[in-house]
Amino acid sequence: MAEISREYMEQIAQMWNARGKGLITHMALEIENVSSEGVRVRMPFNPDFCVDKDQTLLHGGILTALLDSVFGLANFVTIKGVSSMATLDLRVDYLRAARSRADVIVSAHCFRKTRHIAFNAGNIWFDGHEDAEIARGTASFALTRGDTSLLEAMTKGKAS
Amino acid sequence: MNLQTVNANVARVPFFRFLNFEVQSMDDFHAEAEMTFEAHHIGNPIMEHYHGGIIASFMEATAAIAVQPDFTEVPAKPINLTVDYLRPGVKGPLYARANVTRKGKRIASVSVITWQTGREKQVAEGLYHFLLV
Repeated sequence: MAEISREYMEQIAQMWNARGKGLITHMALEIENVSSEGVRVRMPFNPDFCVDKDQTLLHGGILTALLDSVFGLANFVTIKGVSSMATLDLRVDYLRAARSRADVIVSAHCFRKTRHIAFNAGNIWFDGHEDAEIARGTASFALTRGDTSLLEAMTKGKAS
Repeated sequence: MNLQTVNANVARVPFFRFLNFEVQSMDDFHAEAEMTFEAHHIGNPIMEHYHGGIIASFMEATAAIAVQPDFTEVPAKPINLTVDYLRPGVKGPLYARANVTRKGKRIASVSVITWQTGREKQVAEGLYHFLLV
């Protein structure tokens, strides 16, 4: 697989920050690393995503949302010429209670891509506790090929 | 358990307030809820569709309530899930129905569907497991 240029990585990071609205913006995701091997993203602790009164236990659903988002990013950087994609299905295992106020780290990659479908896997842990995974997931995505990349569409969407 | 008590329970959970939904009907084996569209639910900013993770979260929340509507501190403990995304969730209310397929001593299995314009046009369907001990 070809290495991803620094310029392209910066464009991707810009696209994520340029969304301006929606869940990904609300999650305040920070791209830590992008390569052809996969992506690593940080989600800062957010009390809105907790289920308990003390706000220390994350809801499983936000971990699922995080995996779904980062799978999309992994596909976007790995597969060229995709104009849009849609999650086909998603499976998530919650490996232990997500109780911490630490940042959440998610690592995801695309392990197989075809003309129409991408297959992804990823895992989640609290920063500093990579040995204690809190969730693991797999997903498949339906890809729509086209000349207008997702990046261009986003940039235009922002400009208009 | 009456709906008012269940919705008061829902309102105590920070993430459930973030999702912004209301339980509309329930009995021993099912729960139905309606979620209000919010800007922070958006996954595709161009089309303004729901984020798949928000749909899965809403389904998980509805499933947990069907299993344990009278939770005291935190909702039922999820083990895992699988979701099939069938149609895009467009701007507007989203409905979910959770059916408890089996509730044993330790584990519950719940199937959930979501829709917008009609139940036959499902946006997503999923299977959720919960640990009851």
